[in-house]
Amino acid sequence: MIKLQNIEKYYAAKGLKSYILRHVSTTINQGEFVSIMGPSGAGKSTLLNILGMLEEPTYGTYEFMGEDVTSLNERKRIELYRNHIGFVFQAYHLIDEMTVAENIEAPLLYKKIGSAERRSRVADMLDRFNIVGKKDLFPNQLSGGQQQLVGIARALAAQPSIILADEPTGNLQSAQALQIMDLFKKLNEEENITVIQVTHSEVNAGYGSRILHLLDGVIKEDVNLSESLKP
Amino acid sequence: MQTLLMHLNTNNDMFKLNLTIALRNLWKNKTSSMINVSGLAIGLASCMLLLLYVSYEWSFNKQTKDDKNVYQVMINFDGPAGSISGTGTSTPNTIAPALKETYPAVKAASRIGDADTRLIANGRNSFKKIGRFADADILKIFDYTFIAGDEATALNAPNNIVVTASTAKLLFGTTDVLNRSVRFEDRVNLKITGVIRDLPDNTSIKLDYLMPWTLFENLYEWTKRPMWTNNNWTTLVRLNPDANAEMLNASIKGMIKKHVADATSSPMIFPFSRVHLYGTFTEGKSTGGEIEQLRLFMGLAIGILLIACINFMNMATAKSEKRAKEVGIKKTIGATRASLISQFLIESLVLTLCSAVMAIVLVEVFLPLFNNLLGIKMNIVYANPYLWMSLIGIVLFTGVVAGSYPAFYLSSFNPLQVLRKRRSGRGMWSVSLRQVLVVVQFTFAVILIISTTVIYRQIQYLKNIPLGYDVNQLVELPQDGQLEAKFELLKERLMKSGAIQGICQLSGSMADYNSNFWGMEWPGSTETDRHMVFSQLATTYDFAKTTGLKLVEGRDFSRQFSSDTSAMMLSVSAVKVMNLVHPIGKIVKYQGDLRRVVGVFQDFIWGAPYRKQDPMVVAFRKEGTGYVTLRLNPANTPSANLAVVERIVKDINPAYPVEFKFVDELYGQKLKSQKILGLLSNIFGGLAIFISCLGLFGLAAYSAEQRTKEIGVRKVLGASVANLMQLLSLGFLKMVVLAIVIAIPVANYMMNSWLKKFDFHTGISWMIIVMAAIGTIAIALLTVSYQAYKAAKANPVDALKYE
Ligand SMILES: Nc1ncnc2c1ncn2[C@@H]1O[C@H](COP(=O)(O)OP(=O)(O)OP(=O)(O)O)[C@@H](O)[C@H]1O
Ligand SMILES: [Mg+2]
Repeated sequence: MIKLQNIEKYYAAKGLKSYILRHVSTTINQGEFVSIMGPSGAGKSTLLNILGMLEEPTYGTYEFMGEDVTSLNERKRIELYRNHIGFVFQAYHLIDEMTVAENIEAPLLYKKIGSAERRSRVADMLDRFNIVGKKDLFPNQLSGGQQQLVGIARALAAQPSIILADEPTGNLQSAQALQIMDLFKKLNEEENITVIQVTHSEVNAGYGSRILHLLDGVIKEDVNLSESLKP
Repeated sequence: MQTLLMHLNTNNDMFKLNLTIALRNLWKNKTSSMINVSGLAIGLASCMLLLLYVSYEWSFNKQTKDDKNVYQVMINFDGPAGSISGTGTSTPNTIAPALKETYPAVKAASRIGDADTRLIANGRNSFKKIGRFADADILKIFDYTFIAGDEATALNAPNNIVVTASTAKLLFGTTDVLNRSVRFEDRVNLKITGVIRDLPDNTSIKLDYLMPWTLFENLYEWTKRPMWTNNNWTTLVRLNPDANAEMLNASIKGMIKKHVADATSSPMIFPFSRVHLYGTFTEGKSTGGEIEQLRLFMGLAIGILLIACINFMNMATAKSEKRAKEVGIKKTIGATRASLISQFLIESLVLTLCSAVMAIVLVEVFLPLFNNLLGIKMNIVYANPYLWMSLIGIVLFTGVVAGSYPAFYLSSFNPLQVLRKRRSGRGMWSVSLRQVLVVVQFTFAVILIISTTVIYRQIQYLKNIPLGYDVNQLVELPQDGQLEAKFELLKERLMKSGAIQGICQLSGSMADYNSNFWGMEWPGSTETDRHMVFSQLATTYDFAKTTGLKLVEGRDFSRQFSSDTSAMMLSVSAVKVMNLVHPIGKIVKYQGDLRRVVGVFQDFIWGAPYRKQDPMVVAFRKEGTGYVTLRLNPANTPSANLAVVERIVKDINPAYPVEFKFVDELYGQKLKSQKILGLLSNIFGGLAIFISCLGLFGLAAYSAEQRTKEIGVRKVLGASVANLMQLLSLGFLKMVVLAIVIAIPVANYMMNSWLKKFDFHTGISWMIIVMAAIGTIAIALLTVSYQAYKAAKANPVDALKYE
């Protein structure tokens, strides 16, 4: 589903190129659950952003579902966002002026889904994440964990084929974090949704099937858990 | 089809959701929304009121169909060496008939009498209303709407009368009054032969009822005589559509001189619709007039709207930065740029629409007050398509301009940019743009403050220019009928009655420049001196005593010197231009006669108060005087005095109505347009400043809110309230100071060129500028520091809890 070839990213400051990513090449298949790990400043977020087409690599090619998306026009990219990619952010990034239900419904509106279908999907999501009682509350009336649940619900509502999550539990307590991880795992296993997350936590990474270790912009290690560690 | 419908439906749902969000946003920021909407509403209302006034003035005398073919006859007066010394609107009674008879291009021509209020009665139900005499042709010149009666014959018999609907209602309680009889001036019974719809307020020919010119001639015998040089009445003509006014003007030029060999006047036709706005003439050519002031008001209207728009834009952009996050998120979940643009535009259009509704309400509420202040009657004609077009235009313009920054700028962002840095919307560009706008706004406000003050001071200055005579308690009336022959009797009886302290007869009104001449010769005068123009008044005895004119040298005309019947007095400036060292006793050749100078008087204001007065000659002449001027006895009330005077005048001159005019009122009329300018610039200048401050208030509130976290951190680090207030206020203060620095030279330049129009004017003192600067800074500081104080006093924990 994802094929990176020789991705490089650098910022030129005062004539000096400071590399964030170097020679990153990898392939991620549909249904994988990948965790990107590494020390702070290693380039994890940058890599994820490139995967999410929020940033363009300075060099290299990126194929998404068989299509070269290295430099994609806006209209095409929006199509991908609507139909294939769901984002989950560390800072939740819910729209403050929308209620929980409206936040979840928003991507469906952009996808131009009919209102009956929308209603049932939103209800489904609320149900699934156990937040039916909160549907008319605004984000600032929720706890951090609850907000992240809504964030994930929003990402899932559009039925994406891949979820990109940058430290989705970074602001959460471990109990809440585990709940989110369980959820990702379930989505990955039951609905075959590809999940790519950035995380600092070995425990979180353990939920996935594969870990990419990033160090100074280079993939140092690519561990496949399902073969080596899984019982 | 199905998909299309669904597509429309989801678009619709999206629209609804966006609208809900917009409303929630409005509600969440109630204060700033209120400031925003009401500021724009005030701006819009001000702009609308001003434009209403402008269009009122603009459409003056333009209500008639084919108003382009209607012309007013003007009279040009000869100056020295073929020049034209002045242009007047009063014409003799011979021009209209002669024009119609001689020139086929003239389709209709009418003499029109003065707009005096005269008594009209239905039995005991009597009122003083504006009644005018006119030739029947007036009905062909104007297209008065006849509710009843026959336009073609309504004014054909001398005892006919046409009344307006409201006059009919006033007299009879109904407009169904055809063929009823009314009594005019308690002298004749007239038959109503027409009821017309009320005239618009913005016409020069105002009237409540209209009577045939033939009636005028029957009532006042002397008006029957053809008089080519007695300029008393208005003359209007309607030309055939294909007529050439230029050519007609060329051929009518010598008309008066053909009949009266030594006449010094020539007629000229001038578009009636332009008389009101372009009524200033030099050398017989229109050189402007009220139109200049109107342009000023137009500028003011646009300026105020601009200020309000800037507010609106600033607030919208300020808020939109907070919404950068919303934009970023929406983009990652699949919003297109177009959908974001339309969302922001719709939001700002909804706001502008609210403002427009509020503005209409404001205009409706304040229009009566405004009308009252200006002494006019404007109303909003909701059926007028232009009104709606311009309103919708303004709303669209404001909404789109105000919404365009968030719409186009924010929506262009890469979502990562806005999501990563919380305040990435606050790029260099946006901040400096907003600062520029605030500076523009305050520049305009400061210019307005300075201009209003200068205008106010100039008007005060003009009001305080010494008139040269005592205008209070001074009354004048036309010397009609028997009042000339029986003047001595009138004088004797009035003086004996105790109602007056003095009386004199004059060739013209004291309040209005009305006559000049050239060609005077005096000891030592050269050939070129003969071209010098003097203004002139003719009088008999007691001129100085009655008017309170100050004599500098010599004396008033006196019965004790029989030779005074061929004497004259000169004004101080006349003495100066004539270069007479010892003027008293000098012999001067005036109008062909030799006259002795017996007195020199202080110049008095006869023409425009802001113009240098022409050198003046006051000559003794018994015949051909036109006005009786009275000084009322201050021991009694004016109304008691006038009642006595009226009785005596009526007794001596029963054929004529008694028409008093207070000279101070007449004089007051002269500064009318300056007063309107002063009034309007005061009101709207004040409003502009208010709106600017409102904007500043909102911006300061927003900036304080945006920096709550920073303020909290600083407080935790030990910053004092004063430190924080300084931090928050300084930026705004800098902008205001910059605005002042820009505004001062601009205002200075503008006001200097405005003042140049006046021969007598105040200067722009440094005091005004310093006061304006200090005032603006003070107001701005007050506005900003309230918000700064609030923010600085807040508990830092509250600020830091978020995030
Ligand atoms: N716009 C930019 N200009 C210059 N350098 C940048 C820019 N954006 C990111 N970097 C640099 O790129 C490097 C990688 O950043 P990135 O955010 O990917 O790190 P990370 O691995 O996600 O770290 P963390 O675990 O702390 O989130 C950092 O050293 C950062 O300073
Ligand atoms: Mg990171």
